Amino acid sequence: MRERKKSSAVEVSSVKKKKEKKTKDNNEPREQKEKEESQSIMKQQKNTTSRSKKEKQRKATEDYQSLRESELSGDEVHGTDHDVDNADDHHEEDQTDGSEGHRGVEESDSSEDEVAPRNTIGDVPLEWYKDEKHIGYDISGKKITKKERQDKLASFLANVDDSKSWRKIYDEYNDEEVELTKEEIRLVQRLLKGKAPHTDFDQYADYVDWFKYDDALHPLSNAPEPKRRFIPSKWESKKVVQYVRAIRKGLIKFDEPKEEEPKFYLLWGDDSSAAEKANHLAYIPAPKPKLPGHEESYNPSLEYIPTQEELNSYQLMYEEDRPKFIPRRFTSLRSVPAYENAVKDSFERCMDLYLCPRVRKKRVNIDPETLKPKLPSRKDLKPYPVACYLEYKGHKGAVVSISTEASGQWFASGSTDGTVRIWEVESGRCLRVLEIGEAIQYVAWNPLPELPVLAVSAGQDVLILNTGLGNEEEQRRVKDLLHVETPTAPDDNMASIVSWLQHDKLDGIRLRHFKVAFSPLSIFSCIFVLVLDLGLVEDHLLKNLLLALMFTLDGVFGRMASQGRLPLHGDNLIVGSREGKLCWFDMDLSSKPYRVLKCHPKDITNVAFHRSYPLFASCSDDCTAYVFHGMVYSDLNQNPLIVPLEILRGHTSSNGRGVMDCKFHPRQPWLFTAGADSVIRLYCH
Amino acid sequence: MDMNIETPEDQNEENSRRVQVRFKTKLKPPQKVPSNSIAIPSNLTRFGLSSVVNNLLQAVNPEWKSEPFDFLINGELVRMSLEQFLLAKGISAEKVLEIEYIKAVAPQKEEEPSLHDDWVSAVDGSNPGFILTGCYDNLGRVWKAGGVCTHILEGHCGAVSSVNIIKSDGLKYVTVATASKDQTLRLWKFDAEELVNHPKKIRSFKILRGHKASVHSIAAETSGNMVCSGSWDCTISLWRTNDSDAAGNQVSIKKRKGNNQVEEPQLEGEAISTLVGHTQCVSSVVWPQQETIYSASWDHSVRTWDVEMGKDLSDIFCGKALNCIDIGGEGSALIAAGGSDPILRIWDPRKPGTSAPVFQFSSHNSWISACKWHNKSWFHLISASYDGKVMLWDLRTAWPLSVIDSHKDKVLCADWWRGDSVISGGVDSKLCVSSGVSIQ
Repeated sequence: MRERKKSSAVEVSSVKKKKEKKTKDNNEPREQKEKEESQSIMKQQKNTTSRSKKEKQRKATEDYQSLRESELSGDEVHGTDHDVDNADDHHEEDQTDGSEGHRGVEESDSSEDEVAPRNTIGDVPLEWYKDEKHIGYDISGKKITKKERQDKLASFLANVDDSKSWRKIYDEYNDEEVELTKEEIRLVQRLLKGKAPHTDFDQYADYVDWFKYDDALHPLSNAPEPKRRFIPSKWESKKVVQYVRAIRKGLIKFDEPKEEEPKFYLLWGDDSSAAEKANHLAYIPAPKPKLPGHEESYNPSLEYIPTQEELNSYQLMYEEDRPKFIPRRFTSLRSVPAYENAVKDSFERCMDLYLCPRVRKKRVNIDPETLKPKLPSRKDLKPYPVACYLEYKGHKGAVVSISTEASGQWFASGSTDGTVRIWEVESGRCLRVLEIGEAIQYVAWNPLPELPVLAVSAGQDVLILNTGLGNEEEQRRVKDLLHVETPTAPDDNMASIVSWLQHDKLDGIRLRHFKVAFSPLSIFSCIFVLVLDLGLVEDHLLKNLLLALMFTLDGVFGRMASQGRLPLHGDNLIVGSREGKLCWFDMDLSSKPYRVLKCHPKDITNVAFHRSYPLFASCSDDCTAYVFHGMVYSDLNQNPLIVPLEILRGHTSSNGRGVMDCKFHPRQPWLFTAGADSVIRLYCH
Repeated sequence: MDMNIETPEDQNEENSRRVQVRFKTKLKPPQKVPSNSIAIPSNLTRFGLSSVVNNLLQAVNPEWKSEPFDFLINGELVRMSLEQFLLAKGISAEKVLEIEYIKAVAPQKEEEPSLHDDWVSAVDGSNPGFILTGCYDNLGRVWKAGGVCTHILEGHCGAVSSVNIIKSDGLKYVTVATASKDQTLRLWKFDAEELVNHPKKIRSFKILRGHKASVHSIAAETSGNMVCSGSWDCTISLWRTNDSDAAGNQVSIKKRKGNNQVEEPQLEGEAISTLVGHTQCVSSVVWPQQETIYSASWDHSVRTWDVEMGKDLSDIFCGKALNCIDIGGEGSALIAAGGSDPILRIWDPRKPGTSAPVFQFSSHNSWISACKWHNKSWFHLISASYDGKVMLWDLRTAWPLSVIDSHKDKVLCADWWRGDSVISGGVDSKLCVSSGVSIQ
């Protein structure tokens, strides 16, 4: 086959010429021009130096021809056309060839590869279509049917007949016969010879030396490399030292590395902090719906599935309490039915959003400890009575009342055993025992130190007794005072109530009351400044409770103390009540108590103020006495300061009574307590 | 030379640590041990150390009778085991420890109590020949020894609150002063050497009137010419004690008509000056030097008075009502005072800013009624308290050296007598004498 192609190389050009002829018929005037051009090209072709150009032109004409061929091959009349043209002469061949090539250069520079193959099956083995009727699909998707195969004999005969058959190649892919052009055959021949396929490619072109060697025998400078190229720069290092010093001195400061804000945030966190971010002052984030958990899964774990018993128990619950969602298992997600409460839920969600509070509820966040009043430390409020060091023993019955002498050297005590005893404070010695004979209700020492006289109320009488203390001169004066010569002339008012008598046994006066005096007011107790307005007594809170306030025909006897000696504006009064309430009244403030101290579990039997120290005390039937710090300020704006200080214990209960009386020492921060256990105790600081 | 002394204690604990000690003493030769260092177990207490020393003494002198000793390390008395002591004080146990021993200060003998008719309120033992006591039965008494009453001082019409022996060197008669709750002071004179087999009643030769309230305390000047007294009227009064040659004193001879007895003439004296400054009862006065008087008061202060000027030089506030004061100790300058709490406080007035006490002894349970320094020793003092105890203190330790528990009720007064006895009187109407307190 190959040999045949070689031998008939001349004939290829004649075949081409015939094809060209057809196009020559279409455009006659243009052919004329082409002819001239082709002639000039012919001349050029003779020049050997422009060989490559000619080659290029030739190639272009070949391209064009192949394109033409492919157009023509679509027709069935392809073969017959060729046969007709066979008769054309061979002279024109070179001419047309040259003109054709020129035109090809003009019109298109496309290569053979850009011609889309007719078949679009792609790079698949053709055996796949071996048994099919079609060879593939064209670009519009239609089947390309195979041509009818000629039997071998017929094809052989056809080949013999056809003079150009040796130039034909069967294209399996497109199932067609391709007739190689003269150029193509020439190209094939060149390849076979081992030459470059294109004729115009000069394989052995002259070497072009672009560099000029005229006056560059040596490099630019022949001097040796200077040393400074190899040592580090002195000025640079100086500059570095400058910077180092400046940094050390702190002249140069580096920027603080920026703190990177965390790029992540709590996705499932509470939205409470979102309010801060929002620009609105009163931005309230919408309530978040509950996020689904494992139980909402279509196939939750078994532990989420309620048992039948639990399901039954849900039925017994109120609808409100019943769980909204009961987990169930499904084999697949597809079998999950539509959620029947979807509309209801979204409605409720909308209602939640609609009815969500628009006003932020300010919650007062207060530590309850801070609400407690700030009380000063007990240590700062010293001195106050703390411990019992002295006991005064001698009475046989409950000690009901005690009273201290003004200087604090002695005190007197009255007891239910009918005696009044006078004690020395410092040693605990009983100096004198005055037998009265009746149960004592109250004793009071004359606050004037010049007249050591004692007032005692016992039974229905008030006795004014000489204590026997003091020097002779004082005693003489006391005796003069206490001398009653005859029963006083009957006064209209007083006679019916009181008679003055000399005491028969003791050195003193007896004031006999004819009417039943519940608790006669002791005349000497001028410490008791009764600041009592009726409004206070009518206070319904205290009306029935006040043990301290009792009205008799003789007047008012208040078992209360008033703070008369402290620097105060207005009067302060403390009242102990029967159920253990201790009330501090600021009389200037209101008729309601300023402070109510509920400290004693049992009745308060007495209260006392200290004359010089800011102390007050209360004693009760629960066998204790309480000591308080009660500071009254001269500044009216400042409220009195009341601090509980100490609970004094030690007395024992007797017949349900505990501590019957308490009195402060007039000069020391000491407290005397009189107990129903017939002991008087002195608590010292 | 190392000696290992086996004592009853260390037989039990063989493997306890041992410390090298050397005993030294200022005692005289029969009580002196050889000054070799010996190894003793470190868990020994005072009793163990004492038996070690006694063993050493017996080794030298076979007739030695064992005696209790007290031990000082670096000037502090050992009151715990040696090991604990060294640990507490941070003393190295590696070196040879020098332990000084002294005779243990503790009463050896309890003498017969002197019985009174009423509470014994005051006692003075400054004269080695006799003891003077004051009593709530308005009498003062002079005791020759325990239980032997020689004189009864009769004349007060109130309880005697304080007594004082006025120094009278070389005179035959001894002058004493008493203060009473009848607001007077009385001076008495008697012959202490006089031999009597029956208590002799004597009357005062001088009555000092002028206080407005009961007199609480009395103190005599060192020379004996003057006495001072503190009273409930918040003043301190100074009085002259000389009897005859007091020119300004009005001599009043009281003759009681109805009385058969011929009365001695009685002088009356007035205060030559009054020191005003205290705001409450002056509970105790002392007059240790010619020119200064120290006083303690219920107004919580201790004041120092200049006698010439009549003004107080300094005052110390302690916060508690004070009952007793005494001056003594190192350089006779330390102030010991006790009051309405169980703490015996000692101040050093020479220190600048003396408001804080330098020592506080708090082993008592109740008010302290009396405190007295030993007149020879710098370290020893006694205190009496309402808890019925008399305690003997050494400044070198915080614990009492000994507790005299002979009273059944409150102790109202206490004093030293003859340098080696502690006398105390109390509510149980007894004057107790505890003798044999050996203080060098």
